[in-house]
Order: sequence, then structure tokens, then C-alpha cells
Amino acid sequence: MSTEALAARRRRASTLMDGLIRPVLGPILAVLIAMAVGAILLAAVGENPIHVYATLAEGGLVGWPNLSVSLQLTTPLIFTGLAVALSFRAGLWNIGAEGQMLMGALAAGILGYAVSLPAALHIPLCVAAAFLGGALWAAVPALLRVCLSVNELVVCLMMNPIALLLTGYVSARVLKAPGPTNKLPDILDSAILPNFSLFSQLNAGIFIALLACGVITLVNSATVRGFEWKILGVNPRFAHYAGINVGRNALAVFMVSGGIAGLAGAEQVLGVYKAYYDNFSPGYGFDGIAVAMLAKNNPTGVLFAAFLLGAMNAGSAVLQMTMGVSKYLVQVLQFIIVLVLAAQFSFSWLRAGARRRAASPQGEA
Amino acid sequence: MDAGGDVIVMNQITKRFDDVVAVHDASLTVRAGEIHALVGENGAGKTTLMNILYGLLPRDSGDIRLRGEPVNFVGPAQAIAAGIGMVHQHFKLAPSFTVAENIILGAEPRKSLDRIDRAKAERDTAELGRRFGLEVDPRASVSALPVGLRQRVEILKALYRDAGIMILDEPTAVLTPQETRELFATMRRLAEHGRSIIFITHKLREVLAVSDRISVMRHGRILSTEPNQGVTAHHLASLMVGRSVLLRVHKTKARPTEDKLLSVESLTAIGDRDETAVADVSFFVRGAEIVGLAGVQGNGQDELVQCIAGMRRPVSGRIGICGAVSEHANPRSRRASGLAYIPADREHVGLSLSSQVWENLTVGRLPEFSRGVALMANAARRRADELIRQFDIRGARESTPAASLSGGNQQKVQLARELTRQVRVVIAEQPSRGVDIGAIEAIHRVLVEMRESGCAVFVVSADIDEIFALSDRILVMYRGRIVADLIADETDVEAVGRLMGGLHEQAEAAVEFESAARTGHVH
Repeated sequence: MSTEALAARRRRASTLMDGLIRPVLGPILAVLIAMAVGAILLAAVGENPIHVYATLAEGGLVGWPNLSVSLQLTTPLIFTGLAVALSFRAGLWNIGAEGQMLMGALAAGILGYAVSLPAALHIPLCVAAAFLGGALWAAVPALLRVCLSVNELVVCLMMNPIALLLTGYVSARVLKAPGPTNKLPDILDSAILPNFSLFSQLNAGIFIALLACGVITLVNSATVRGFEWKILGVNPRFAHYAGINVGRNALAVFMVSGGIAGLAGAEQVLGVYKAYYDNFSPGYGFDGIAVAMLAKNNPTGVLFAAFLLGAMNAGSAVLQMTMGVSKYLVQVLQFIIVLVLAAQFSFSWLRAGARRRAASPQGEA
Repeated sequence: MDAGGDVIVMNQITKRFDDVVAVHDASLTVRAGEIHALVGENGAGKTTLMNILYGLLPRDSGDIRLRGEPVNFVGPAQAIAAGIGMVHQHFKLAPSFTVAENIILGAEPRKSLDRIDRAKAERDTAELGRRFGLEVDPRASVSALPVGLRQRVEILKALYRDAGIMILDEPTAVLTPQETRELFATMRRLAEHGRSIIFITHKLREVLAVSDRISVMRHGRILSTEPNQGVTAHHLASLMVGRSVLLRVHKTKARPTEDKLLSVESLTAIGDRDETAVADVSFFVRGAEIVGLAGVQGNGQDELVQCIAGMRRPVSGRIGICGAVSEHANPRSRRASGLAYIPADREHVGLSLSSQVWENLTVGRLPEFSRGVALMANAARRRADELIRQFDIRGARESTPAASLSGGNQQKVQLARELTRQVRVVIAEQPSRGVDIGAIEAIHRVLVEMRESGCAVFVVSADIDEIFALSDRILVMYRGRIVADLIADETDVEAVGRLMGGLHEQAEAAVEFESAARTGHVH
């Protein structure tokens, strides 16, 4: 009797463990390991790691000026992280968020100055155009994959520099604004996403990001499509067997994913720069991959992961100014996080494989 | 038979995996020169016990004596050195190597400068084969060998290392009845040479045919060890399951209807290696009959079924399901026209093991649980609970991951999902593979019930006993062709076995059957 009660308690404890703690254990561990490795690097170059980390945290988190910069840098990462997470969850490797974001930004940048409308229409129009721009750019790898079974990873990777060069050409030659900089003309006031911080370019785009996050959460958990996409991700042959249209769904996932990446471009153009600038992105699309991995493709997790990376980036600027520690150190930390996560992934994958092999002779022990 | 003393004494072995006791206080004694069958259901602990003996797994308690000496193997290398050989269910051979290379791998004969002495390897292999009557061409590439010969290579490999004790883990699972008979002859010959053989299986007919003594395992315990004489299959089966089981499900004589619910006409399909896997196959299955497709694995059955299920595009031919004929179909359209397909590959095709039971029961039936774009997840979970009760899926709640269920219960999940739809044609592919005896009975009963309700049931199985247990009519497939169409009551295992092995003296008769089947279609 008492052993039963004990077992029941252990079971309850283990469901709590499984439900709440275990999912975040890996990412937290990754961050801690990265910090430990970073500490060694810092000590090697003669800096006090504790002091550096304290400055980094303060520069990213303490006080509204710092925090608002962190949030500004978080916003594009929410979009790109969400975009990547959506595709990864469906087993599709959209690593082309960078290019999709650029195409979205270009679309928003053009409509932002070329069309004159009241703000209530102009902003939605530009946002929608950015979504469409990203979605169409994503349709290229998607169609190649669905129709010709071309590996989407490779195509996505190649589409990124193509987008960069194409947008560069447009902003330097075709629609260039007068002046020395390669940019499009400034967008009209009616297209500007209102800024609400004196200290940064934090703008209303962050609400669009939160909205997108909520919508994807809903799609994942409460719609037929979200369910099909999940099955597509865990076992595409099973999905095909059960009559799910794998090709059409893959195309849909890719285009929605590209569209969300395009929204990051809209936020940058309409909220941060107020014009399309050539080569504006420091790699938000690529950072989105790290965000999605850290979030384990969970939309809520994307919020936290994007904020972690955003705050690190914001803090690194402060770090460089006050202590003279290169901001590239923070990039190193971020890369280590990704490496550890990838290692964890392959580790658990290997372990699952070993368990399967151990169990397979008898089917199920 | 009772020539030598005890070579292996395993005493009160216990092995736990986390909370699960896989082997519980199991004691086993193997004598020199005997064939000792170790029988039990899937998951009874047979393989675990043998893996402990072979040094693949550490034991938690108990002791092992080999020829009186206590041993404690860490890793198979030590077990091999002590003269224990194990032939696993899944062969562990390098396909691109020759027979001789595989046999010497890890124990290579050397000549000067540490080079491998291939000539000696080939001589030794040939000599070993002659001595035990297991001839294989030492220079043949393993990838070119049929399954039966690959197994022979595995056995030779153990003999090359001078194994006095051989563990054969479900060796007959992949063999034709004829190959099985040859294997048994080999086993007897080895026993006569004084080697001891531990034969792991769950096929009772084979146990009774070949073994000297039989140990029955259930839930990790060895329940009994008895000499073969005087033991019946029924007695063993009830020991294995813990209750009396029907080895053959009761069914009345088939009264097939006139409509050919499943019809295949001149179907030709290409396999994954660009070979003609299905060559001009025609047959039909009528309502209220069970047709079994017998054949050794890899003779085109997989490709045939994939074509019918819409998962592989045939080169030519027509497939009709409930009259809906189409040349190009996809799984969705096939399902819509009334097909239920129970795939053999539960891990990759029929289920998503990492997903929960309710998700597995809901995929493919989404229209029932959608309102507009919304998924009615709660309704789907409730229905899953009902199906779990209805199909007696043990150890499952709707939120259990499918991977944690036993093979039999995973099979029940597939059946519950597919057979509770509006279906008229049922294709069950290897329905009892990896499924324990108790569950086989339930699965077979469900398939017979589908027949009673008027469905056309098509059973594809490499297990000839299963074919005979279920079928009203038996088709035999060999090298992509259907070589026979037989009435189950008018044939026997031997005849079907010969056809499966391609030894059909009745070749002409088979052609006649085939053409009869085809003309049967036309009107």
C-alpha cells in the first residue's frame, strides 16, 4: 500500500519533472556551459569574468534605457525565431529567414514611400506586403523541394546572398534615394510604426511580434493544420500514409514561415530605420535559428530565447563602451550556446538510438 | 542426447531497467550437446537473459558458471573468448565484404608484416563449411547471398571462433519452411559434435520439432524446464501466456459475396533498387473472405501493398477498391474509397511512436474532429479513451506515448484507428510481427470479425502459420509474381512452403490459376 503511494508520488513528481522542468533544463544548461567556457576565455585575456558578466547583465537589463534597447533588439529575433521554429517543428529546414526578412523589408520599404494612404491603412498594407514578400521568397525553396525533391537546406542557404544582392541592387541603382547612402527614399509618416522609447528605436512592431507569437501558439495547439504540421515533423511517412497532403502542407509551412520572417523586415523598416537601407541586418535571420533551437521550437520559448539573445546583444555594446571588451565576445558566447544545444540534440538522439537498439531484439521490455 | 554434464549454469539472475524487472530470479542450465529451447512471448526477457550471458548487459544479481567456473563477462569479446557465440535476430555482417572476410573479421589470420592472410581465411572457411555441412562460397559477397545463407555465415563465424555454446536468437523469423528445416538439420549436426545450442523462439511448432529440452519464460522468470517428450504446444502456450490460449482463431467457412471489393489487374511496379518488384500481378479479394498472401520477405509483397495503398506509383496496371478504379492514387484517395491499411512497419509508417496515443488515433481521421479550422482535441482524446477500452490496449492512456506500448498494443492502436472507420477493404501486413501470443489471438479475432461484417480482408504475412490460421484463400508470391491461388482447406503448409521457395512442380498449374483469376475479373 505504502509502496504504491510512494510510486504514485514518484510518478506525479516525474510528470511535473517531464512537464515543466525537463524541457527548459537543456537550454539553461547550454547557457551555463557557454558562460563557463566564456569565463575561461575572459580569464585567458586577463579580464575578470564575474565583472564582465555583471556589466553585461547590467547593460542589458538594468534601467529603462538599457532595457528598451534590449527589447528593440529582441523584436526582430522574435519574428525570425518564430519563423524558423515553425518550419523546424514541421521537419522543414528553413534557414533562409535572413533572405526572407530582406525581401519583406524591401516590400515594406517600397510601399512605405510610394503609396500615400492614411496610417490605419498604410501600416497594415506595408506589413502585409512584407509578409507576402517573405512568403514568396520562401516559396522558391519550398517548390523546389516539393516538386523536385531538392534539399531545402541548400536552396535556403543560397537564397540568402541572392536576396542580399538583389536588395542591394534595388537600393543602390533602381530606386535609390538621392544622397551618398544606398537606401530607398524615407517612408511616409503614415507608414511609421510609432516609437515609444526615448532611448531606443523600440516601436509598436513588438506588439505585432507578440501577436504573431500568440497566433502561432494557437495554430500549433488548436487547429487541424497545426496538428498536421506537427505530425509532418515527427514522421512524414506516417503523415503521408494517413492521407495528409505532405507537399501542400510543406509549401504552406514554408510560406507562412517566410512570411513571418518578412514581418521582421517590416518592423525594421517601418519602426527602426524608417527607410530601406542596404545591408541593414546584422544577421537577425541567422540568429533566428539559434533562437528556435534554444526555444525548442516552442513559440512561448521563442519569446524568452529572443529576449536572452537581444539582451546579450544590447549588453555587449555597453560592455564594449565601458570596459573595452569586444562585443564579439558575446557572439562567441552565443555560438557556444548553439554548439552545446546541437551537442545535446545529437546526444539525446544517440541515446534514443541506443535505447531502441537495446530494446529492439525483444520488441518492448 | 544427455551426453555431457552442465556447461552453463545461470543461477538466480536478476536484471532491472529503471523500474522494470526484465529478468527476475531466472535460473537456466544448459547441458553439453543439447539443443535447449528458450521460449516466451515478446518481452518475456529471453533476449535480455541471453545478452547477460553473452556479456552485452551487466546483471544486477545472480551468478553464471561456465563448465563449473564462475564467469563474469564484461563485453562480448570475453564471452567469445570463452567459447560462446551468438547469432542475433538482425544479422551483424558487413554486406560489402566477402563471406571469408566476414567470418575472420576481428580474428584475422596474419602473415608476415601483419598482413591479413586471405588465402588461409578462404581455406579455413571452406574447411569449416565442409566439416559442419554448411558450404558457402568463401569468396561470395555477403550482399549477394539470400537470407538463409547469411545466417549460415553468422553460424560459421561463431564456429570459426570455436564456440562450444551457440545462442540463436529467433533464427527462423526470416527463413522459408525449407530453409528452417535445413537450419534444424544443422543444429542437430552441431549438437552431435558436442556443441550446445540455445534456441530462442516463440514458435512452438519449431520448439517441439528440434529441441531436447525446453525452458519457458514469462515476465522475466523461468517457469519450467522440461524435456521435449510429452510436452504439447497447448501446454507450452498456456505456460507462456499464463492462461489457456487458442492457437487458431475459430472461424466458420467463408461465404464470400460476389463483388470483388479489391481487384488488381496486371500490376507491374518497380522497387527501390530499380528492379521489377511486382510483375504483372492480378488477383481479387471478394467481400466476406480472407485472402492470405504468402511469401518469403522481399518477393515483392511490400511493393504490391504500397501500390494498393497509394504509396507507390505502379508502372502499369489497375487497382480497384470497392469499384473505384484508378491508375494514379494517393493514400488519401484510397482511404476515402474504403481502404484500411495496417502497415507492418509500425515505427516508420503506421504510427508516430514519439506522439501520444490520442494523436496516433486521430491522424487520418481529422475531419471527424475538426470544426472549421479548429481541432477538437478534447473530443479526440475522449474518443481515444473509448478506443483504448474497446480494443483493450493495455498500459495506454490517451496521453501515453505510443513508443512505451508493447508491440501487440501498438498493433491494436493501428487496428483501432483503421478498422473503426467506414471501410470495406482491409489490408493487414504482417499483423502479428513483434506481437505476443496473447495479443495475436485478439488481432486475428478482429480480422475475422471484419470478414464477418462483409469486408474483403487481405493478409500479407511471411509467417506461414498465420497465413493458414486466417486465410480462406492463399496466394503465393515468388519473385514478383503470384505463383499460386489456392483454397486454404485444400492445400497444406508443405505445398505452400515449396511454392514460397520457388520450387513449384505445379508451375503450369500456377499459370492456370493465375489466368483463371484474370478471366474471373473480366465479367
